[in-house]
Amino acid sequence: MSTVAEETPERGARRRGGGYERPGTELQKKAKFELYSWVFMRVSGLLLIFMTLYHLVWWNLLVGVEHLSADLVLERWSNPLWRLFNVGLATFALLHGLNGARYSIEDYIRKPGARKAVKAVVYFVVLAALAWGIFALLTYDFASASRR
Amino acid sequence: MASDFRARSLGHALRYKGNAGMWTWLLHRVTGLGILAFLIIHVIDTAVVVYWPDFYDHTLDIYRSPLFRVAELLIFFAVLYHALNGLRIIIQDFWPIAMLHQRRLAWAVSAITAVAILPVAWIMLAPLFGLRPEPGAERHERRMRERGVVEVTAPAPEGMLLHVEAGPLGGTEGGR
Repeated sequence: MSTVAEETPERGARRRGGGYERPGTELQKKAKFELYSWVFMRVSGLLLIFMTLYHLVWWNLLVGVEHLSADLVLERWSNPLWRLFNVGLATFALLHGLNGARYSIEDYIRKPGARKAVKAVVYFVVLAALAWGIFALLTYDFASASRR
Repeated sequence: MASDFRARSLGHALRYKGNAGMWTWLLHRVTGLGILAFLIIHVIDTAVVVYWPDFYDHTLDIYRSPLFRVAELLIFFAVLYHALNGLRIIIQDFWPIAMLHQRRLAWAVSAITAVAILPVAWIMLAPLFGLRPEPGAERHERRMRERGVVEVTAPAPEGMLLHVEAGPLGGTEGGR
């Protein structure tokens, strides 16, 4: 989907009787990564359909933004299973989104330098957000002890 | 081949007539990137609640503005469409016969999204015009009653809330 038209088709050495040798390990690794990312998009996507729609229905339609408060969120997160759910939701959603952003970047930004730079910025922002979210959820007990 | 088409401008790009397949692809991408942008902010600011609950309460006030409530509906729409269209893609990938019906499936996704978003829009936006109580109002009142915080909203003028802290439960909030 993303790398339909690479600038230079990478191939192995030309074979005597015509055709080419199997591509080098670098390309094999790239192809493997693309396969894994394709699988990840399907698996995480399927899980996210249920997790995000539950999340949206619960907070927007059943709880209501108007009644949202720090108390309410902390009370819900006092159950470690809900914290685990949120770790999973944030991880799947952000990594799924990050990979989707990678598809878009590789589609539209053709210059290698610019592509690298944009990727670095996007990867950093998304992974930093994810790290902060997971950190806060995992240190919940420590933080609530200091709040008391 | 699709890759032979190279858009040099937005107008040029829109002249490419890919029909339903192009539009579902474009909408999938736009909603995906939109959700990601929101998600980055959402995860960062929600995690704040663990360490700085007061600051979190402050950011919630921003979410309650009418502009953000409309934006939240847009997010809901984006997630709903992205989810259903993603499901269509998965079905088409793993069940090749579905490809024969891809155009019909694409229309089905649009139709289901359009129909499902209507009640959601009503629940989320009607309170802004006073047409409906806020979603979750009953749940909120029950919770407040259980915690010993009595809210008297009916006789008081709008915007005025009377908090009466009662019983031993009322004291738990004093911590922060």
